[in-house]
Amino acid sequence: MVGQYDENLLPDMLPIYYTKYFPQNIFCRWLSCGSSPQPLSNRELSFTLADDVYLRYLSICDQKELQTLFQKKCPHKLDIGAVYNTKPSIARHDSVVLARELVFDIDLTDYDEVRTCCKEAKVCEKCWKFMVIACEIIDKALKDDFGFQSILWVFSGRRGIHCWVSDYEARVLDSPGRGAVADYLCLIMGGENQSKKVNLGNDNLHTSIRRALDVIDKYFEEILQDQEFFATADGLKALLKLIPDETLRSQVEKKLEKLPECSLERWRQFTSLYDSYCRENGFAIRKMKYLVEEIKIQYCYPRLDVNVTKGFNHLLKSPFSIHPKTGKVSIVFKPNNARKMKLSDVPTIYSLLDDSSAYSVEHQNNMKTSVKNFQEVVFSLEKAEAMRRKNDANISLEF
Amino acid sequence: MDLNIKRKSTKTVIKGSLVETYPHDLQMYKLPPTEEISLQEFETLALERLMLLRSLATATTLKGFRAFSDEWKEYVQNELRNQGLKYYAKLCEYTKHGTDADLQARKKDHIAHFILRLAYCRNEELRRWFVARELELFKMRFMTMNSEAVDAFFRLNNLSYTNISDEEKSGIISFLRESTAHQNIENMKFYKVKFYEVLDLVKFRKVFLSGGYAYIPHKDFVSVLSAQFRKHLRHSLAVACHHLGEIEQDERLVCLLKGLHQSYTGADYADTKAVVPIESLDSLSVKSYPLCMRQLHEQLRLSHHLKHGGRLQYGLFLKGIGVTLEDSLRFWREEFTKIMDLDNFEKQYSYYIRYNYGKEGSKRNYSPLSCLKIVNETVGPGDCHGCPYRHCDVSNLKNKLQGYGMDPQAISDIVDTAKKGHFQVACSKYFDSVNNVDLGLGINHPNQYFEESQKLLKGEIKVIKKEKGNIKKETIEDLEFDEDF
Repeated sequence: MVGQYDENLLPDMLPIYYTKYFPQNIFCRWLSCGSSPQPLSNRELSFTLADDVYLRYLSICDQKELQTLFQKKCPHKLDIGAVYNTKPSIARHDSVVLARELVFDIDLTDYDEVRTCCKEAKVCEKCWKFMVIACEIIDKALKDDFGFQSILWVFSGRRGIHCWVSDYEARVLDSPGRGAVADYLCLIMGGENQSKKVNLGNDNLHTSIRRALDVIDKYFEEILQDQEFFATADGLKALLKLIPDETLRSQVEKKLEKLPECSLERWRQFTSLYDSYCRENGFAIRKMKYLVEEIKIQYCYPRLDVNVTKGFNHLLKSPFSIHPKTGKVSIVFKPNNARKMKLSDVPTIYSLLDDSSAYSVEHQNNMKTSVKNFQEVVFSLEKAEAMRRKNDANISLEF
Repeated sequence: MDLNIKRKSTKTVIKGSLVETYPHDLQMYKLPPTEEISLQEFETLALERLMLLRSLATATTLKGFRAFSDEWKEYVQNELRNQGLKYYAKLCEYTKHGTDADLQARKKDHIAHFILRLAYCRNEELRRWFVARELELFKMRFMTMNSEAVDAFFRLNNLSYTNISDEEKSGIISFLRESTAHQNIENMKFYKVKFYEVLDLVKFRKVFLSGGYAYIPHKDFVSVLSAQFRKHLRHSLAVACHHLGEIEQDERLVCLLKGLHQSYTGADYADTKAVVPIESLDSLSVKSYPLCMRQLHEQLRLSHHLKHGGRLQYGLFLKGIGVTLEDSLRFWREEFTKIMDLDNFEKQYSYYIRYNYGKEGSKRNYSPLSCLKIVNETVGPGDCHGCPYRHCDVSNLKNKLQGYGMDPQAISDIVDTAKKGHFQVACSKYFDSVNNVDLGLGINHPNQYFEESQKLLKGEIKVIKKEKGNIKKETIEDLEFDEDF
């Protein structure tokens, strides 16, 4: 049962989990494929032991070593780092990072200024929809725009999702390249001191933004009703702050205050006021051509932690690691299933190891599905890697 | 590259006339120069190019012109003429004639570029600055060329690309129209390159991407080329750095090259001698902090927490003004433990404070962030760091300054300046208003702001206008202005 976890049990449970449930074989294949042409042993792993003791610069040669390491150290959390030019444990300050999956980290705490259902570490089915949108938008962009194929989506264990891109081109992308991809995907910018965080200018909307808006539109009204963004006085004030034109702002304020406290109704009223205002005032369109789109994006577009993507050797929690605070498994899921995924479906170390748990059977199955999802991505990555090596060999033969 | 510039070269000398060696105004600097030049010439060429590069930096940072805009180019051109660097001015305008004077100019351009490589390959910071400036120069020159010159340049550098077919183009024409930052794309030929060849276009979503390819018109080739240029230059600098030992056997060169580099590093505030007790921070934050630090300090006092970016920016600043590691730990601990238990703080946060002081991880003694780093910070939801003149809404900024009880005239002056994008000038105005002076300092480092303010309070500077600030200003600015390709 989800609420039953007890961190003190972890030292006894983890060794069993690692032996019985952690997909060691597939995991090693995934990492070694993602490390090639360097050997698996050049990949950094990092463990967090009990009481937050960090062990960095670990590495393994094969599955056997992984199992030994797991049993010896019993990590509460497992992170994956970069591929170095040598074994990361030796000469660590002279070693050079050669490759690294392109990674994305999206965390619900970054939605605190918009979500109304939960705050901070809390998460519920309602705000999980933000993750569904994020996953769909990022996945499409990575595939359609950048042509990536080996994309792994992982639940982070508590309140967010991670994405690992293992395509060769992504792995060897340099820091400016990662920065550019991150910036391309990042539309929400600004901190506590800026209310309006999205500015799309007044040129044509970029194809990728249009596509993202199509995704948002599928969920927007549903989320609007779930979250009631504009129902409270504060919520309304936040919306008003996003309107750059004073006349329109006061029009909207007057109208919306009178409406019942229903976000959907208020939103519809706002868009119709905006439309007629723009129709009457040609100049307004120049100043806020995409205001409606900007607001939708500010409330629903993925909020990436760009520093994780930009950093070449940022450690990131491994798939199938246990979240020490929730006991949940970082399961791999398919992006088109994200919508159906429920947080209560995510297996925990407690439900997996306790046969009497009410969730046991269901969670066992979900665990199996998740391993299968992982396998699928790894198999296709292995195929792609084999193709790439063959092509490289052909090219070098031609010379 | 050949580093034996002063000695007899062992490599084959490029034969033929200057016309063959320098067929085009613009070059990729693939081959190093091989002839002999006098030491004096060596020095002059180095200094002249430095002036050229510095005027590029000044145009963007101090003058606040948008890079490659018309004012920007005009400013650079005027600077070059005023400093007697007509030959560079001409090279930047592009003349295809190839008169003897032009050829000489190309030669100087070539040699000077290679000399500066030696001076600027020493460390990462210098390299970044140099690459950024050379890249600006390259782009500016490329963009002023006419299409004939562009074609010639492509031919000379063996760059061949084939455009996509008309069918392919008409299939994606609506996407091209949406996503390309040019008008009249119907008449343009489009080319397909990998997305990582045009990262600057990707970054700002100015190109249509599909399946890992970027579709660019001829005009955007400047992105492809500058990316190649950048990569090549970065690599060459790394190679040059390895060979520095050889060249430094010649003492005459050592002095000169090191001198060049030293005269432009400026202070980095990583080591301070002053000791500031943390009990005085509240009053200092009012009197001597720039606004970016003042708001972080206030936020910390208010919410007893700062997110990572804020801790880094403020933590390093504190180190720079002379707060010791022990005091710093105590300072953060006292605030943070108001909302968390001590254990939590020690585990999660004290590492990074020691890290800032070079006691953990790579053990580097990190320098406090300069204005340009702060201005270009990524500021996300929940963050309070960054530059208030850039990262605050106008109304927010105004309220804040009003809250400090500042003079309304000064407030509107500061806010207007910030609105125009002159963040550092706005900061200098804030300085004047807080300290009730009219110095018009060039602010480019929060720690410099702090020191100037302290000097003023202690009566060390009375009203020495500008001189000192100016010298310091440019030196630091130059270095910190990173390449953002």
